[in-house]
Amino acid sequence: MNKSRNILLLVGSPGGASSTSASLGHYILDQLAVQGFVTTELNIQSEVQSSDLQTFCKTIDDAEIILLTFPLYVDSLPAPVINTLELIRDRRVKSQVNNQKLIAIVNCGFPEASHNEWALAICEQFAQEAGIHWMGGLSLGMGGVVHGKPVSELGGIGTNIVNALDLVVESIVQKEDKIPEEAIEYMATPPIPYKWMYTSIASISWIFGALKNKVLTKIGSKPFV
Amino acid sequence: MKALILNGERSFEYSLSKFSKIIEDLLKGAGYQIKTIILHEKNIGNCIGCFGCWLKKPGICIIEDDAQEVAREVINSDIIIYLTPVTFGGYSSQLKKALDRNISLISPFFGTYHGEVHHRPRYKKYPSLIGIGVFSEYNKDQAELFTNLVERNAYNFHSPSHASQVFTAGESLQEIELKINSLLSKVGVNYE
Repeated sequence: MNKSRNILLLVGSPGGASSTSASLGHYILDQLAVQGFVTTELNIQSEVQSSDLQTFCKTIDDAEIILLTFPLYVDSLPAPVINTLELIRDRRVKSQVNNQKLIAIVNCGFPEASHNEWALAICEQFAQEAGIHWMGGLSLGMGGVVHGKPVSELGGIGTNIVNALDLVVESIVQKEDKIPEEAIEYMATPPIPYKWMYTSIASISWIFGALKNKVLTKIGSKPFV
Repeated sequence: MKALILNGERSFEYSLSKFSKIIEDLLKGAGYQIKTIILHEKNIGNCIGCFGCWLKKPGICIIEDDAQEVAREVINSDIIIYLTPVTFGGYSSQLKKALDRNISLISPFFGTYHGEVHHRPRYKKYPSLIGIGVFSEYNKDQAELFTNLVERNAYNFHSPSHASQVFTAGESLQEIELKINSLLSKVGVNYE
């Protein structure tokens, strides 16, 4: 029976519904909706930051599981995500919510998923301060390969991502206390096996982007010195 | 020589001005020109992840607010000091808001540094980085996380040297001064 089980997806990317963070979260939400979960989604930058605090707090309190997805910003969480976690923590000091769980998924544009380690550690510390059970976090490198596309449409390049997310869904359905180690390993496996290939593709995309905006000759500008 | 203090205190929480004052006095004594920016007093919006600072106006964030001034001050300093309440082992949202907007200071292209991929530098010279975190209540795990985060930021920001220290709100001025003195020495500040 999953009908009374609520899951809240908090998307921490400014890209909103078209972001990689949303794609990863939507895959889990869609699977859980099929299993009878009540699913809710909030975009931190466009909704949480502008909504009234009472409504936001009620949505947070009603969730049995909070799934937080965000891109890595400067080795950590984007500022509005930290601000949202500060709000939740500050309020929890006064009113405790029992049996709530947190899962975080962070993606970065670097080839190595290990860049995300400290952001996940921050999420874990938040969970402890807010009295939320930390189920664990997934860490994706080469996030550019998802580029906001639905995970189910990624094909072979998304195999490990799908495997990881399926295992997370299973752990939620089975009311596990932790996400499986295997899921963490799948997600951290580089979608493209060669770093040089990924970084070359990234370089080409920056060059094309600059060309399109007619700033290729200025891409290395040093305007402040 | 120039130093910049980015004060990430939250407007409704305890003030970090006593830390700021000690850093200012010590650096002035070493001949530095100091600027302190209290970030919650500035108009700084959130990074919108558009990469406009790399692909539209390379090196300058396309959002026209006080973050542009912060970025200019950062890259023209010899030392920057992140002063923040320790927030889940990291920085406050106030400080982070300014740092997220500083990606204009690095290049979009990748290179290999410290055995892993990071963005290449845009400028020839970057400031040394000092992280100062203040706890209302000490937490060992968060103290370690804070130290690691400052180190990671220094790698990504191509800082020539870095150092960090956490404090608890109740420490005496004398203790704080001694520790900050030692921090400044680690990034090459000397008083001769």
